[in-house]
Amino acid sequence: MRILLVEDDPMIGASVREGLRQDGFAVDWVQDGVAADTALAAETYDLVLLDLGLPRLSGSTLLERLRARKSDIPVIILTARDTVDDRIAGLDSGADDYVVKPFDLDELAARIRAVARRRAGRAAPRICYRDVELDPAGHSASLCGDPVSLAPREFALLMALLERPGSVLSRAQLEERLYGWGEEVESNTIEVYVHGLRRKLGTDLIRNVRGVGYMVPKA
Amino acid sequence: MSSIRRQLLIGLLVPVFAGGIAAAAWTYVAARDEAGVLFDYHLEQIAWSMRDRSFQRRPIPPHSAAELENDFVIQIWDRGGVEIYLSRSHAQVPGLSPPGFSNQRTPDAAWRVFSAQVRGRVIQVAQPQRVRQRLAADLALRASVPIALLIPLLAAIVWIVVGRGLAPLTALARAVGKRHSTALESLEPKDMPIELAPLVGELNSLLARLGATLETQRRFVADAAHELRTPLAALQLQAQLVERAADDSSRAAALAELRRGVERATRVVEQLLTLARQVPEARTAGGTPVDLESLAQAVVAEFAALAAEKGIDLGIGRAASVLVPGDRDALHVLLANLVDNAVRHVPPAGVVDVDVGRDQGVAFVAVSDNGPGIPGDERQRVFERFYRVAGSGVVGSGLGLSIVREIADRHGAAIALEDRSGGGLVVRVTFPRRT
Repeated sequence: MRILLVEDDPMIGASVREGLRQDGFAVDWVQDGVAADTALAAETYDLVLLDLGLPRLSGSTLLERLRARKSDIPVIILTARDTVDDRIAGLDSGADDYVVKPFDLDELAARIRAVARRRAGRAAPRICYRDVELDPAGHSASLCGDPVSLAPREFALLMALLERPGSVLSRAQLEERLYGWGEEVESNTIEVYVHGLRRKLGTDLIRNVRGVGYMVPKA
Repeated sequence: MSSIRRQLLIGLLVPVFAGGIAAAAWTYVAARDEAGVLFDYHLEQIAWSMRDRSFQRRPIPPHSAAELENDFVIQIWDRGGVEIYLSRSHAQVPGLSPPGFSNQRTPDAAWRVFSAQVRGRVIQVAQPQRVRQRLAADLALRASVPIALLIPLLAAIVWIVVGRGLAPLTALARAVGKRHSTALESLEPKDMPIELAPLVGELNSLLARLGATLETQRRFVADAAHELRTPLAALQLQAQLVERAADDSSRAAALAELRRGVERATRVVEQLLTLARQVPEARTAGGTPVDLESLAQAVVAEFAALAAEKGIDLGIGRAASVLVPGDRDALHVLLANLVDNAVRHVPPAGVVDVDVGRDQGVAFVAVSDNGPGIPGDERQRVFERFYRVAGSGVVGSGLGLSIVREIADRHGAAIALEDRSGGGLVVRVTFPRRT
């Protein structure tokens, strides 16, 4: 899952990026509103973590612009403004969730998963596909009830495919969702992860659509 | 303590009493004199009424005691000096007196006498002084008593009027006294006398200023609490990353981050305290002369180690012994903040200079660096509390320049942000010309 983190405080930004990467998210971090606007126009993200008190372009203005462009990307506001009025204004201006600083990394990750789940039209926290079951919170997977050990990026790749069975994701799209800026993408990595997943979960789970990308068939 | 009531009462009652007594006394004297004139007129009239009578000497029966008390005595002498008429026989009557009015004495009484020569006869009318005086005193007393009675009445009226007049003041004092310490709305007394308006106006403007100060403080506390969230949020995240660290090297890295977070939070708190100390409205103008040169040397020495660590060339450029009146500790904080800012923002191997001197007689201290500078459109905003320049990559409290401005304001000094020739920033603090 690829996340854009918009946070002007260097310490908080660095810590959130580090923590979320440990949780298997691909995180891009920008420190001001204009950079965030540029990044959102140029790249595809699954979710935005937005601080409100940003230099150059405030978080709320950024959110308004985003929604004015008919973008439906999930947005979680991260802010120190904690009055009820602030929360209401934030949620009403188009945010999906509102997290007040100081916050807990695990809670933030859980909220990100919850927002992503709702966005994917699921209510159940676990993703089930045929015999495969994924637990996004615990980063664990099982096949026919038996636990299967997956590397973080294998897990992220499988999540991306299972969220929308039947739709094809290109290699570039998958890479985008797996890697944040500054993270080295080696060639063939997607193939390596797909290979690993097929070995662990069965060869017919992930289909290769030649010249286009990968998909899991509709169940 | 002086009392308006006492002053008014003394100032009004003393004249009322003194004036009343003087008026009564004057009335008494005037009435008595007037009575004397009147009695003299009577004497004269009686004398004239006797001038056409003819008299035969014949014995007169003795008079009663009451008659003796009040009586006029009429005596008439003929041309030869023979007494031809005596109205009654007093034991002693005055003898022949000079014409006109005169005072005579007999062994047992004093007399007022009128004597006139008419057609060869001398007519003389006498009245005992004692009787005259008693009648005059009665008359005078009757005239002056009402005035004397008026004195206590006037005093009572003065007392009441003074009390009434001062009542709005008492009411105002009660209204102020009853106030809660946070009730700062304007005083609006009912039926306020015009004389109280300036006092109430001043009180109201003081209340308004107090309210503004309180509001500033309240907002400051709110802002401060709000701003503390950021370093605390960083601390929480950094602590969590320490917990999550899987191996020693990542734990060491996370701990180093956590330590930096603690340092930052500490610095924010220290800056807040410094600012809180500068905020009080009381302008400590004047003060003792502070030598800016020695101040600059002290601050540069203080930051020498930090600058050396970053490989920054920190030193004093232009120096002159300049004295400005002020608070040395506060000016130290001001200069230390400017140098701290410069050292933080200048890239490694940069230069930071502190200059002290006079330009056309105006004392200044300036800190210049060859760092990234501050964009023109942000130069006003950097003095706002908690404002941080975007993309500086420096973790600060956002309070440094607020503190600088606060202290400069207290000293009446102006701060200017200028471009340094060759790139960088000059922060110049100019002190007011000595008058």
